[in-house]
Amino acid sequence: MTLLETRNLSKSFGGLQAIDDVSLTVEQNTIHGLIGPNGSGKSTFFNLLTGVYQPDEGSHISFDGVDITNSQAHAIAKLGLARTFQLLRLYGELSVLDNVMVGYHPHTRYGPLAPLFNGAEVRRQDKAVREEMEELLEFIGLADHAEIPAAELSGGQRRLLALGRAIAMRPKMLLLDEPGAGLSPVNVDNLMATIMTLKERYNLTIIVVEHILKVVMSTCDTISVLDHGQKISEGTPEFVKNDPAVVEAYLGREMADEDIRAAMDA
Amino acid sequence: MLFLSRIADLIEWLAQRHRLLPWLIAYALLLPLPLILSTFFNDYLIDLANRACLFIMLAVGLNIVKGFCGQVTVGHIGLYAIGAVTSAVLSLEPGGFGGALGFGLSVWVSIPIAVIVTAFAGLIVGLPSVRLEGAYLALATLGLGESVRIFIAVTPALGSSTGLMMIPAPSIGGFVFDSFTSYYYLVMTAAVVGIYFSFAILRSATGRAFQAIREDTIAASVNGINVVKYKLLAFVLSAVYAGLAGALFAHMPPGYLHHNNFTVIEMVTLLLMVVLGGIGNVWGGVIGAIVVTIAYDQTKDLVVYFMDRPIVIQPLVFGLSMVLLVLFMPRGIGGWFEGVRRNRRFIQRSEEKLGDAARNS
Repeated sequence: MTLLETRNLSKSFGGLQAIDDVSLTVEQNTIHGLIGPNGSGKSTFFNLLTGVYQPDEGSHISFDGVDITNSQAHAIAKLGLARTFQLLRLYGELSVLDNVMVGYHPHTRYGPLAPLFNGAEVRRQDKAVREEMEELLEFIGLADHAEIPAAELSGGQRRLLALGRAIAMRPKMLLLDEPGAGLSPVNVDNLMATIMTLKERYNLTIIVVEHILKVVMSTCDTISVLDHGQKISEGTPEFVKNDPAVVEAYLGREMADEDIRAAMDA
Repeated sequence: MLFLSRIADLIEWLAQRHRLLPWLIAYALLLPLPLILSTFFNDYLIDLANRACLFIMLAVGLNIVKGFCGQVTVGHIGLYAIGAVTSAVLSLEPGGFGGALGFGLSVWVSIPIAVIVTAFAGLIVGLPSVRLEGAYLALATLGLGESVRIFIAVTPALGSSTGLMMIPAPSIGGFVFDSFTSYYYLVMTAAVVGIYFSFAILRSATGRAFQAIREDTIAASVNGINVVKYKLLAFVLSAVYAGLAGALFAHMPPGYLHHNNFTVIEMVTLLLMVVLGGIGNVWGGVIGAIVVTIAYDQTKDLVVYFMDRPIVIQPLVFGLSMVLLVLFMPRGIGGWFEGVRRNRRFIQRSEEKLGDAARNS
């Protein structure tokens, strides 16, 4: 079953066409890789999906059967689409536990004024949520740091917390923006193992943007390649690896001798 | 320091017995304050305590929008003015001095109406926050707040330059709250309840949503928080505090209101309270309000002579302390105390763990 679908998705900033007519489908319970050189539009693509940016006219995005093309970020989040950020964007001054509890926000069942009029209900629900979130922290290995402000965690722990905060949203789909950036190879392997376990445990569909090709090649079911905002290739890891268009996008086109001579003569 | 930490431990222990226990004890301890002040000092200090309670309400309210939600507003004193003038005008007898408006309503009716009116005004002050951030938002709210004061100053119906006089005091049955001591019980109760509700908000999904917006607006929206809704809610909640404080101020003896009570200087004093206490820290705001109210009162007549000419140095002292605070103690008393306590708890837990490990080996 198709969980996410974009048709003719475009976004331009002034004269720059950041995303150009990208159509993409992601099947349920798969891991879909999104790769491409720097500036190819991967992060913009995520920002469009999650409502951080609004797409141009003529674009269409649907998630879990709902049209979310012009929906606001918080509404999309409530439908079960969670993401992490390349620069994490943790709530630095909040404790680790509070960070994941904010992640749980879409499932809060009392109104914003309930603390004034129905304190007992707020305390009852928050207690249950806290227990559930402590369990999640236990699972990702941050339980010992629950009370520490997120800003005081180490780099690797921060990446785990960003993941935990997204998982706390109980999403159907998880968008990971360079989850392994800045981690040592061993830590990247550990992180990917954690992600795979989380996928099984919470029945997730994942889109992952990653520069570490080893990670993408070994974990993804399907890979799409973006270059200059356009989708230039798509298929199994094996297919994409050998696609000449992909090689060209990453390494540049080989110039034949006569081309070089023509360029020098000109 | 250790003493303070012990008290904090004691409060936590009490709260574990029953969550309202520390509140009731604090309230009971505050009850005999006017008696103590009038016996050992003088009645003027009770008036000072009353004003401290009003500023506590203002500071705690400002803390919701600025401390929890991170929206820089400098229009808070304008909301205070709206609450005060609305309640005063509604409760004054028609045909008062100098063409002042009057509707002759009971004080118990005029105060809730004033709070509701101020809440709406808070919504309007909050609207720029949808588009503006930081210094730009501060400028916009400063304009709104100051225009309220100027509007009062030039409108005879609202008191203009003479101010509103003979504002009635609240009464229950035959008992009239027209003395410093009786009024103390009114404002002190309101302040304690205000502080309690501020904590109730902070420790709920609503408070966490506010803080998430403060820390990172984009991440908050992606976490499913309706940023516009919660920003405006923070402004409205803080306006409710300001409106109630203003209304209680209007009916406080001697029942006189003047637009000079709502100047930018008052706003800066209020900001100083919140910054000194620690932005985002409820108890810090309370301590800041008490300390600054007393300091403000004590330095009011502070004059130095330069070439035989008197110079009032209070604004200088306050401005300088604000700059020094932001430079050297940006998280205020509250933030500093919280850090100390967190470290203490961390060390305790580490020691427990080490102890366990030693026993197991």
